[in-house]
Amino acid sequence: MAWAQRLLRIDRRVIFLLVAVLTLTFVLRPVGLAIRVSPEVRSIYDYIEKLPAGSVFLLSMDFDPASKPELAPMAVALLRHAFARKLRVMVMTLWVTGTGLAEEIVTSAAREAGKRSGVDYVFLGYTPGTVNVIINMGQDLAKTFPKDYYGKPIDSLPMMRGIKSLRDVQYMISLGAGSPGVEAWYVYGKEKYAFELGGGVTAVSAAGLYPLLQTGQINGLMGGLRGGAEYETLLGRRGVATAGMDAQSATHALIIALILVGNLGYLASRRRGQG
Amino acid sequence: MATDAMLGAWTAAGLTLCMYTFLYKDNPFFKFGEHLYVGVSIGYTIVRIYYDVMLKTLVNPIAEQGRWDLLLPACMGVLVLARFVPRVAWVSRIAFALIVGFGSGAVMPRIISSFILQQVEGTFRPFLRLTPAGGWTWLQANAVVVLVGVVATLFYFFFSIEHRGAVYGAARVGIYFLMISFGAAFGYTVMARMSLLIGRFGDLVRFGGPEFHYASLVMLVLVVLGLGAWERLRRTPSNEQ
Repeated sequence: MAWAQRLLRIDRRVIFLLVAVLTLTFVLRPVGLAIRVSPEVRSIYDYIEKLPAGSVFLLSMDFDPASKPELAPMAVALLRHAFARKLRVMVMTLWVTGTGLAEEIVTSAAREAGKRSGVDYVFLGYTPGTVNVIINMGQDLAKTFPKDYYGKPIDSLPMMRGIKSLRDVQYMISLGAGSPGVEAWYVYGKEKYAFELGGGVTAVSAAGLYPLLQTGQINGLMGGLRGGAEYETLLGRRGVATAGMDAQSATHALIIALILVGNLGYLASRRRGQG
Repeated sequence: MATDAMLGAWTAAGLTLCMYTFLYKDNPFFKFGEHLYVGVSIGYTIVRIYYDVMLKTLVNPIAEQGRWDLLLPACMGVLVLARFVPRVAWVSRIAFALIVGFGSGAVMPRIISSFILQQVEGTFRPFLRLTPAGGWTWLQANAVVVLVGVVATLFYFFFSIEHRGAVYGAARVGIYFLMISFGAAFGYTVMARMSLLIGRFGDLVRFGGPEFHYASLVMLVLVVLGLGAWERLRRTPSNEQ
């Protein structure tokens, strides 16, 4: 059973190399594996699809550059969809370190869709207070964000006409990499101010949010790169997330194979020990 | 190509490769990238807090609108810093008392409502939605699994009585539910880490193109040569002694 011992002693650098080679291969040459859209992602898409033009859509990008590969594709896809549906889009962040990234994403998506700041969308930026920001926004939005990110008074922006608080928001999505994120928006926002809420999270957090989805506390959930890829599929526009899914699937297959090999080696060596 | 984009691409490619050298072993390239990351993160946060917090919510409203009432919360904030002066450290308790008092008051009712009452209601609600014919649907079947999982897991964490007989059986079922939950969480964690890797590789491939003057490839060669030189230096007889 020397082979079993050998299996258990594979140098970890060999595994790193295998993962790297496999990922690089599929990043360079994607094969276009099929992406099945899950009901939790479809329900977000359907909700935005049914919103009448001019409805208020709030997107909170509660993440920083560390989670960009997972959450930025979701933000881009959601903004493209919202702009195409002619929604009034408000964008903000509860993470101070995410401000620059959020601004870059929203301006690039708006430029692509030909939308104007203050008229079709507004970027509110960051304001301190974490969950208190949500509570304050529910009471008076202009007091929480007196000016937009570029220093223009909120009250003077055509986009903000008739929007006084979170009660005037028709749909809100938080793209969260941790706390504050989706849960905070539910606890301090949706439950009190009764707007519909969807979530997009890093894959690490996704499993923990399914109870909220199961009970209908959030109406949809996008988890990790896959969530973004599913949304891109629904939009019919291949993006960064879709391009990464082949590599994702390939590396998952490798990890499953390594888990099987490791367990096989462990069982064989244990049987040998008992013998 | 703009100079800042080019500079950003070369820096990003170089630092990504520096960080990945840790997979080989701990080395000066990794340490350089790590320390730079910590410094830049802190620096960026301080700058953003200065503009988004100090200027936007305190200095500007006072200067432009005469909002002198904002000095009161500002003073409360300053009191927290009294922790650093042992003789007057007790003063900081006033600010902390306010933070804890407000925090508890705002958080507790909402958390209880959102994560206990609504979850309990959600666990039982599907049983109240029987079809007009009175039959069961997959929704109810799913709800049974959820209910069994909730009750069994609660039994596992119920330590007031000894786990014997039926209680032992329920607790064992609870363990299986917990293991499935941990497995799902682990699977998602693998997915998250791979997504980050794919994100970095995607950027490296992009920066390795002619429009960025092959930044990734050049930096890869430099980092590998640097690692080789570092290994050679480490193994010289004077260093071994």
